[in-house]
Amino acid sequence: MATNFLPKIVSFLCKWCTYSGADLAGTSRMKYPSTILPIRVMCSSRVNPVFIIKSFFNGADGILIGGCHPGDCHYQSGNYHTRRRFIILTKIFESLGLESERLRLAWISAAEGARFVKVTTEFTEKITKLGENSAKKNIFV
Amino acid sequence: MKKSQIKGAKISLNKNLKETIVSILKKMFQNDCCDAILMPMQVPAKDSYAWVLIKDKKLIDDANPIAPVMPVQGAKALSNFSRKGESKLKILAVMKPCEIRAVVELSKLNQINLENITLISYDCPGALSIKNYREDPDKAEKKFTDMLKKPEFLDNYVKSVCKNCDNFSLLPVCDLHVGYYKSDKNNVFLIPNSKRGKQNLEKLNMKTPQDLSEWMQDIEEIRKKRVKNKQERFKQIKNMVEGFDSLRDTFTHCIGCHNCRSACPICYCRQCYFDSESAKTETDMMLLNAEKRGAITFPLDRIIFQVGRMSHMSLSCVSCGLCTDACPVSIPVADIFSYVAENTQKQFGYKSGNDKTEQIPLKTFQLQEVGGIKELVKDAEG
Amino acid sequence: MDQVLIVKNSAEKGLIEFLKFLLEKDRVSGVFTLIKTKKQDDYDYALITEPELLKDAFPLHPFLPVNAGKILSNFTDLKKPVVAVIKPCELRSFIELVKRTQGNLENFLLISFTCGGAFTFSDTVENKTDTLLSDYWTAVSNANDFKNIRSTCKACDNFIPMNADITVSLFGNKNIDSSCKMFLNSEKAKTMVKGFDTEILEDQLDKTQIEKISKRRTEYKEKLFNEIKIQDTGLDGLIDEFGKCIGCHACSRVCPICYCVLCDFESSTYDDSSSMLESELNRKGGVRLPTDTVLYQIGRLSHMSFSCIGCGQCTEVCPVNIPVSVIFRKIGEKVAKIFDYIPGKDVAEQIPVTIFKEEEFTTLGED
Repeated sequence: MATNFLPKIVSFLCKWCTYSGADLAGTSRMKYPSTILPIRVMCSSRVNPVFIIKSFFNGADGILIGGCHPGDCHYQSGNYHTRRRFIILTKIFESLGLESERLRLAWISAAEGARFVKVTTEFTEKITKLGENSAKKNIFV
Repeated sequence: MKKSQIKGAKISLNKNLKETIVSILKKMFQNDCCDAILMPMQVPAKDSYAWVLIKDKKLIDDANPIAPVMPVQGAKALSNFSRKGESKLKILAVMKPCEIRAVVELSKLNQINLENITLISYDCPGALSIKNYREDPDKAEKKFTDMLKKPEFLDNYVKSVCKNCDNFSLLPVCDLHVGYYKSDKNNVFLIPNSKRGKQNLEKLNMKTPQDLSEWMQDIEEIRKKRVKNKQERFKQIKNMVEGFDSLRDTFTHCIGCHNCRSACPICYCRQCYFDSESAKTETDMMLLNAEKRGAITFPLDRIIFQVGRMSHMSLSCVSCGLCTDACPVSIPVADIFSYVAENTQKQFGYKSGNDKTEQIPLKTFQLQEVGGIKELVKDAEG
Repeated sequence: MDQVLIVKNSAEKGLIEFLKFLLEKDRVSGVFTLIKTKKQDDYDYALITEPELLKDAFPLHPFLPVNAGKILSNFTDLKKPVVAVIKPCELRSFIELVKRTQGNLENFLLISFTCGGAFTFSDTVENKTDTLLSDYWTAVSNANDFKNIRSTCKACDNFIPMNADITVSLFGNKNIDSSCKMFLNSEKAKTMVKGFDTEILEDQLDKTQIEKISKRRTEYKEKLFNEIKIQDTGLDGLIDEFGKCIGCHACSRVCPICYCVLCDFESSTYDDSSSMLESELNRKGGVRLPTDTVLYQIGRLSHMSFSCIGCGQCTEVCPVNIPVSVIFRKIGEKVAKIFDYIPGKDVAEQIPVTIFKEEEFTTLGED
């Protein structure tokens, strides 16, 4: 396990909550890891599970989905669907022997800059410990 | 290029055929003949082969240019890459002659851009059916290696279309060809067949002094035998499919899975016409037909699909045999399509995959052609 | 106790008598069932309107050339229903399709039967099944699993049809040669049989026998599931299993649940641009073509695995013999269990991804 391995964590962040929370962290001069590669989406439910699968097989070391807390979704019920999809995908990954720990769902509101920092830092540590995603090198996927 | 003028480079055999070809490919790679090589590689579980586009020189050793089985048609693999968009990548594609011909057909259908692709083929011993290979991969590998050493170059173990293939050696369209059939046991011939092929050999500093007339004679001998085999098989097929009842009986087990189409390199449409709304039968039509005939069977339009597919792609059929391989109910689709294709191609004097510049007959026309048409026109004009 | 219609004839011939009655009395616009063609071992699904042609019908024949649920979903509105004789798994797939607005229950009088399993494609293609038939029926009447049925059938614990208007008793019924016993499960069924000149009794399926068969089937299922070890073998094990996949997509094409005319994975939605592919090539040193083999498998799992009813058609058509049905059913059951979902059971039970509960999995995402 390389000690200077810098993971790539593809992060789908909902515009109304998590992305704004990340912005808040930034404007408050709080540091969060550069491993996070943010992709802004209008709602966490925009995230097609196949995006996650594709990111994984294209070599992402971790995949983070950030959305509003259940009950606070800007579109009322989007994140409830995200929740179910995430559970299903995690179960599929487990059943296939793929590291489901590389997938993470986090509810982070626009006011929770500190929480964004906490979640991303912890997740980065976890992924660093897990090591590089072996799908990165596999030519037969 | 006149046959008698073809000359090649003589290369001594390095352990065995596979190693020899691999070392040629490595040299080509090192001498900037290409950016990447497309060739078959055994999958990690060692129970099948997959096409891999290789950029890392180290991987070339793991690949097998003369794979015993062809689960995916090489042209399909290549078109999967090229249909993603324009690419300046110089690719060296190491494929069987039927795959090369399919690549040429696909280039005419705008699915592959040949500008940056070097086509290299070899004397093809045929391929095993997926079923035969998978029954016992180790045994299949051994049988195949033994087959490469045989003088007659043929074995009952290979696919039916391979036994009848008369396009197994040097093609007009390949850039380079590795000839080894019946050659002295210690050498192979690397034959440049186009300007690009010649340029590549120049990069390798290879001269081509070797006269190939003897080799060509040997190839011609087998070709004659294969043509005979083919005509025999076509006689059987003719009996199998001539007349609606026979045709229906031949395809009676067909379940409409359309695997034949999925495996076919020429069938590239993302949504096949026969899956689209245009080909759909509405419920009231279904009932009407059921009432007219007393009953209708499913899948609907079973024969329409087969004949329709023939009308769409038989002009480009290269008889690679993947359709039969993919069929779950073992219908000899490849033999049937090959038979029909020969007839339709002959109508226009067209040979699929034979000439990069020759347009597919469906895409073009001539003002005066096909004697029969004149008569039809005369009748129509009163 | 249920209402049972008895026809004094063998199970198959008695059923055909009833189907003929429905056609002749114009109660149905057609009969959808298996017929035998001129060739040996060849059976097709057919829609029959001419009562005479029922002589070629073999409604209970143990084979699925296609999953009938898929065909039934092609019927849009009918003025008069069609009577369809299909297997329990086909019926369950039709229910799953109805939930996806791909079918209409009003169109059919659904007849199913307690199922002893179906033959494989390879035995059919090798012309073995017609000669095996009488042994098959002996096994079925004795509640045994005939040796030549599909392994997916031996693992099927859903052999009692759900949502059928009429259930023909076959499995474990020692009298299938002399009596056709049809359970009338719905008002529609009871209306349809009026005037059919036979007796109606009160009876019920033998519960102890059903439990015995269920236990045996469930054990076999566990055995099949345990043979698949991909949950423990990591990415390498997954590639070992799916490495031979040629991307023909036959599995999804024959799958009744996969009804999309243009499959997501055949569209250009997930295509990488050529520049992306080139950078992948640079990074890995080699790229398998065609791309996205494993993506398709996992993607399909995420789309439909929880609705998988285990008919086994996917495994039958796979050109490289990947045990698709076992993998999909195994993972599908795990996913469905999270939501206590049972595919094909209840048309009112909504598909897990289309609904949600506000209070569920409340700790997820909150840390």
